[in-house]
Amino acid sequence: MFGAEFPSPVLLASGTCGYGQEYADLIPLDEIGGLVTKAVSLEPRPGNPPHRVAETPGGMINAIGLENPGLHGFIAEKLPWLREHLRRAQVFVNVVGHSAEDFAAVVRGLDEEDGFLGYEINVSCPNVKGGTMFGTDERALSDLVARLRACTERPLVIKLTPNVPDVGDFARICEEAGADGLSAINTFPGMVVDIARREPLIGNRSGGVSGPAILPMGVYATWRARQTCGLPIMGIGGIRNAEDALQYILAGACLVQVGTASFVDPGAAVDVHEGISKYLTANGIARLEDLVGALSAWPGSGPAIPAG
Amino acid sequence: MLSAGRDVAVERAAPVSRRAALLSTRLVARDTWWQEFDCPDIAASALPGQFVMLGVGLDAPGAWLLPRPFSVGWTGPGGEVGILLRAYGQGTRALATLEVGQTALLLGPLGRPFDTEGADVECIAGGVGLAPFIFLAAREAAAGRCVRLIYGERDAGAVFDPALIARLTDHDPEVFTEDGTAGRKGLVTAGLDPASSALLLGCGPTPLLRALAAFAREHGRRLQVSVEEHMGCGIGTCQGCVVRAADGSWVKSCIEGSVFPAEELDWGEI
Repeated sequence: MFGAEFPSPVLLASGTCGYGQEYADLIPLDEIGGLVTKAVSLEPRPGNPPHRVAETPGGMINAIGLENPGLHGFIAEKLPWLREHLRRAQVFVNVVGHSAEDFAAVVRGLDEEDGFLGYEINVSCPNVKGGTMFGTDERALSDLVARLRACTERPLVIKLTPNVPDVGDFARICEEAGADGLSAINTFPGMVVDIARREPLIGNRSGGVSGPAILPMGVYATWRARQTCGLPIMGIGGIRNAEDALQYILAGACLVQVGTASFVDPGAAVDVHEGISKYLTANGIARLEDLVGALSAWPGSGPAIPAG
Repeated sequence: MLSAGRDVAVERAAPVSRRAALLSTRLVARDTWWQEFDCPDIAASALPGQFVMLGVGLDAPGAWLLPRPFSVGWTGPGGEVGILLRAYGQGTRALATLEVGQTALLLGPLGRPFDTEGADVECIAGGVGLAPFIFLAAREAAAGRCVRLIYGERDAGAVFDPALIARLTDHDPEVFTEDGTAGRKGLVTAGLDPASSALLLGCGPTPLLRALAAFAREHGRRLQVSVEEHMGCGIGTCQGCVVRAADGSWVKSCIEGSVFPAEELDWGEI
């Protein structure tokens, strides 16, 4: 997968694991599949005013505003730790930009560095002005992917937004423009109103909704992307346990990312991997690859396998 | 040991995540519970001013629930970790209904603790902001240092039993209520002594902390405050709990705080 070995099919999702170091005392990082860093932009970004997070029914809303130390800060302060401490777990650097040139400058600036496998291109952040611009415009997305493809030979994964009529169309565009993989999906735009103050609760007014509430939407996006393109997909959105992850895998994901669930239990990614392994054993399945996209076309047409 | 973003004088232990049984739970005031969990790892390493993220985990029946931050209110010789829980909304209400023997997920100890530097201290608590001072007063009393504990609530029904506080801390709190139904009538800040030179420690609602910051500035007193923003993770990954620093940057209250010297914060924006 992406020319690398993954110790587990479960990674930590961008924005929920910092730059890895924060989890070092809590879970055996080198035994999970890897992690996707907090977004890195060309220049440092201060982020949005508080409140930045709040719980919502079945999930949470966040509007951090892509706070990050910028390309040079990441290389100086964050990458050395990843390089030194992660030997087996794979690292994707999540990249964000205001313009195609911003994205390209980050990729060019990082490409000669060691300590990570590839890029996850964030064309889908709902919390900054223009954050979803590339993810919702077919032409802009195609041009961006082609441009980044020319900047790197490393794995180039595009993180899709669900905020489009058909994710499948955008998945196909990424493949045609030269991407190596997809992450499906990013958060859904949402809002919470403080009725006592009669104002938006979140400092940015709106934010991105994640957590179990978006699980079926993420599974659907993964399934649509799988139908329209042949790229490997990292399934993400609302995964709490192995059952949730297996839905993504059967819908077409070959890797999954655990995000918000890590806030509830830092060991969630470890437990999800363990649960997937138990399911494979219980069902006599030798390799996870045999399950990827292996759901039957319609209810009632699949093999009668008892769930493990 | 954790590295910290800002200059941290007190060394702190790395956090652990533990499923811990509830040993006891007691209604101590209106909508307010004193809960003790069996968590020796955290009890052994927590320092006054540090907090735990308390949740029910991913496999608990019922609604999805993000963990909530609670100041460590006390640690017992048998590995007990005490917290003071006031039910404000659905999440805290769900935690309040935990029964003895049930387990919760505790992540901690987290955050920057108070740094008393061996000085005499005056602790000013509003509401459940009392919790870290129960812990601190117990520790400082054991070390033979002088602690003054000033505690304010809206009314008598909200006041945590002063006798229990005295038993836990070996200190009699000075109680203030806004309506005068318990202790002295008035805001807790009425208990501040302008003539004292003790280190001020504050924990409670933002208006209280702001008033303390103004008092400290006016009287040239040193002040440390424990702040709280909405938290997602408690360990610095989500970057959700920022407050404005005096230098204009955002600082994470979970990692760089939750205790800050008052002069590190921009009180115009808090």
